[in-house]
Amino acid sequence: MTIKVLVPSPLRDACGGASELLLPAASVRAALEQLERIHPSLYRGICDETGKVRAHVNLFVNTTHVRDREGLDTALVAGDVLTILPAVSGG
Amino acid sequence: MPERVILCIGTKKGLFVAEAPRTRRGFALRGPFGKGVAVYSALIDTRGRPRLYASSCNAFFGMKVLRSTDLGKSFKETKSAPAFPKDDGRALANIWSLEAGDDGKDLWCGVEPASLFRSGDGGDSWEMVPGINNHEHARKWQPGNGGLCLHTILRDGNRVHLGISTGGHYVSEDGGSTFRASNQGVGAGFTPDPFPEFGQCVHKIAGHPKAPGRLYMQNHGGWAEWDGPGGPRPDIGVLRSDDHGHTWRSIAKGLPSDFGFPVVVHPHDPDTVYVMPLEPQTRTCPGGVPAVWRSEDAGGSWKRLARGLPKKESFFTVLRDAMDIDELKSPALYFGTTTGQLWIGRDGGEGWSCLFDSLPPIHCVKVAVV
Repeated sequence: MTIKVLVPSPLRDACGGASELLLPAASVRAALEQLERIHPSLYRGICDETGKVRAHVNLFVNTTHVRDREGLDTALVAGDVLTILPAVSGG
Repeated sequence: MPERVILCIGTKKGLFVAEAPRTRRGFALRGPFGKGVAVYSALIDTRGRPRLYASSCNAFFGMKVLRSTDLGKSFKETKSAPAFPKDDGRALANIWSLEAGDDGKDLWCGVEPASLFRSGDGGDSWEMVPGINNHEHARKWQPGNGGLCLHTILRDGNRVHLGISTGGHYVSEDGGSTFRASNQGVGAGFTPDPFPEFGQCVHKIAGHPKAPGRLYMQNHGGWAEWDGPGGPRPDIGVLRSDDHGHTWRSIAKGLPSDFGFPVVVHPHDPDTVYVMPLEPQTRTCPGGVPAVWRSEDAGGSWKRLARGLPKKESFFTVLRDAMDIDELKSPALYFGTTTGQLWIGRDGGEGWSCLFDSLPPIHCVKVAVV
């Protein structure tokens, strides 16, 4: 099944400028593993080297934050949209 | 014959590069590179064709190393940044030091949490240095106010000195394979034991290639009034070693404060050293009046250098890597402030003028003549 990943502008340099990526993935974790394989620099912008999603990065499946579902184990179905959004914070 | 002076200025909002002829008149500013992202370390690598490196530490998206092969007209991200192995459990929080290694592409990198990495290909790939990263003390170090950082890498053949805040001074005598704490005479104000084996808040260490046994340390001073366990610890902030860092002794006498961050050695005289004393509580210029202090006798006595600097109402901080000195015959000092000013001190700091007045807060300043 294919899902869509929306990439925020600060991370697009890490995936050839793409704002959207289409991936086969059955869960958020699987989508991140795909990103680690095909766009390692983009993956490093989302997750640190322990595999933890960075503190200021939020992942949404469609309109729901993954923390309100099953975290990285949230299942995906064809056509789902995984949105990567940096938290608006700092100065 | 080197023809120009290059300054790398790492700020809270990216890297700036300034360039001037050897006269050091008319510095032109470029940047910011790595726009909006904090730069804590930079390196002007003059081995062979000059290369500029800078860390780019994004609190949102992680760490990068930037590299320029055109003297800072453009920068590209290297293929990778230092990273801990997945099963290590630590994650990179910042890059605090970049230093040139042996051959043309050998680089050393100190990071937060305090660890050391090496690259053999100019920053495209990195390997952890287990001798310090997995040292038996490593999991006992604690972060200082700036984080748990490995900020100083000084090399002298197979001898490697590291400065860690708060970890202290560590030395390797086998090229970096193994390290041991070497802090005899280095005090700490925040432990019951005034001279612990390790855990000191070392701010910066500097040396001179022609006198490798002589080292200077700006340690975390400001403990003269301490009334906690162990009593006052005056003058532990500015130190000297004459035996490759095996033992250290105070050279703080004569300074208005033994607290500060940078320490810089004159390029042509190992006995001449510069510090910037700060008030320990506020970490700003004493009385709001900034001054660099110079010793020409290896810390035996000190002279205040303030001609041209503000005479009042200046409460900035100069951070550990924000002062450097060029290598011209009559060298100039440079320091950057947390209020975004970049100052030049001509004639070894005898006369100061402000090169740039309104940059973002400055973390690091590096200079080279290329």
